[in-house]
Amino acid sequence: MHCLEVNDLVHRYRNGDVVLDGVTLRIPAGSIYGFLGPNGAGKTTTLRLILGLIALQHGAISIFGLQLAAHRIDILRRVGSLIESPSLYDHLTATENLALLQAVHRVDEAKIGDVLDLVGLAGTHRKKVGEFSLGMKQRLAIAVALLHEPELLILDEPTNGLDPNGIVEMRALLTRLNRERGLTIVISSHLLAEIERLATHVGIIHRGRVLFEGTLDELQRRRRTHVALATNDDERAIALLARQSIAATIADGRIVMPAMPNTAIAQVNRRLVDAGLDVHELHTAGDDLEAIFMNLVSN
Amino acid sequence: MTLDFPMVLRCEWLKRRRSFAGWLVLGGALFTPAIIIAVRLVQHAKLPALYANPAFWPSLWRSAWESMAMLLLPIAAILATSLVAQIEFRNNAWKQVRTLPLHPATIYAAKLAVILVLIGQLLALFSVGIWLAAAVPWLFVAGVPWPSDMLSPSFVFAQNARYFVDCLPIVAAQYAIALHSRNYLVPLGAGFVAWIGALGLLQWKYAFVFPYTYTMLDYLGGEPAGKVTVPAIGTAPYALGYAALFAVAGYVLFATKRQKG
Repeated sequence: MHCLEVNDLVHRYRNGDVVLDGVTLRIPAGSIYGFLGPNGAGKTTTLRLILGLIALQHGAISIFGLQLAAHRIDILRRVGSLIESPSLYDHLTATENLALLQAVHRVDEAKIGDVLDLVGLAGTHRKKVGEFSLGMKQRLAIAVALLHEPELLILDEPTNGLDPNGIVEMRALLTRLNRERGLTIVISSHLLAEIERLATHVGIIHRGRVLFEGTLDELQRRRRTHVALATNDDERAIALLARQSIAATIADGRIVMPAMPNTAIAQVNRRLVDAGLDVHELHTAGDDLEAIFMNLVSN
Repeated sequence: MTLDFPMVLRCEWLKRRRSFAGWLVLGGALFTPAIIIAVRLVQHAKLPALYANPAFWPSLWRSAWESMAMLLLPIAAILATSLVAQIEFRNNAWKQVRTLPLHPATIYAAKLAVILVLIGQLLALFSVGIWLAAAVPWLFVAGVPWPSDMLSPSFVFAQNARYFVDCLPIVAAQYAIALHSRNYLVPLGAGFVAWIGALGLLQWKYAFVFPYTYTMLDYLGGEPAGKVTVPAIGTAPYALGYAALFAVAGYVLFATKRQKG
């Protein structure tokens, strides 16, 4: 079942520039959905449309099976969000920031302590949010988003500005929330490595179009493999391979050949050794996720 | 909206904690009484005669209200409105507010109510300040009698209510501008220009068509010389009419804003 469905979103700026060009997304319930794309691809605009922060120009958005246009308030009761930088009141403490929303969401006051514990900010007491580090603010913003126990969490670049330790902590927190509470999480990022470590599903957007959508495994199945070779005389090795009709090129200081069966790899090795070449390295390699992403985006 | 409103009002009221709002109310309300106290303590020799005057309280009330009606109340309305709207802009919090499960009308009305409560606090505290302006010199200067014929609570309430209504169009117009402008200088600048414009228009017989003039007209209309022209029906119907118009226009702008955060 899909927790969030977005159909054929088209959005134009006032000057006519197209930001989103038919964006369609299917986000399964209980998934961690990595919404990936370079800066300016249309991620934030899509998420803002999903939250109703921008007027819908074309297309349809359905969350929990309800149309956003007709059931906005009912839907927002079940959604937590963090769009770009944290929305916090700097002159108030963490507890006071949460107390504002506790009144609106009408949740038990004890929940404030629970979510502060959850994000590791229970000891901030009277410290004003303006005195927090960016990492602490990001964590408090997550606490704000979690206060009313939402079923869907929408996070736009939540690791922006975090140090490596903060990124690891954020990832651990989100994974725990997903596993323990079954929370569906949509997380946008331009950092592929971040999504790779966290997401179960991936949507890749570029220039307002969705280029890929599926599970992380499906994306990784797009890996293009090749055989890498290193010898003591690569020029001569390439000439020998060419005589056997193997198209080899040099890339990153290695000879790269098309993927081939293990028997063919052994045969290549034998011939090179027989020809008096020293083989230092011979193995099958594949594109990493970054290469897959770059291929998708550049195509 | 009805069920959510008290909760949202509480939430909005919490936001102004530790902001400039408290100081604005305190400073605005006690500025004039403090000056009156200081002047009277300096000129303490004149106090026995002054306090024995049967018209002491009406005279004190009018002299205290001069700066309030002409300057402090319109400026406080402009500042309080900008302050409340700017809390969201300054903290980049509109996107959080706009993704709460609330009707836009609830958000709009709750913020407006906070501004009106602040203005109400200012007026109430100012009345206390006027009483202190009489009591403090009496306490510190020997031989001064307690002035007779104190103003009745109903008179004080009626006067405050009148001035409260007079400043509603300023609040509503400033609120509409402030919610629409990320740059706080826009509502402040517009407010100050309108206030100066109102001062300049006072002598004009149709000054009452300008919605920023009502606190001034109400005050000056009570002058025996009749410095200004006050419409026969008073300023309140005009003030209420403009306030309703600006409040509705402000809400339409707020609810239909393209970028909501």
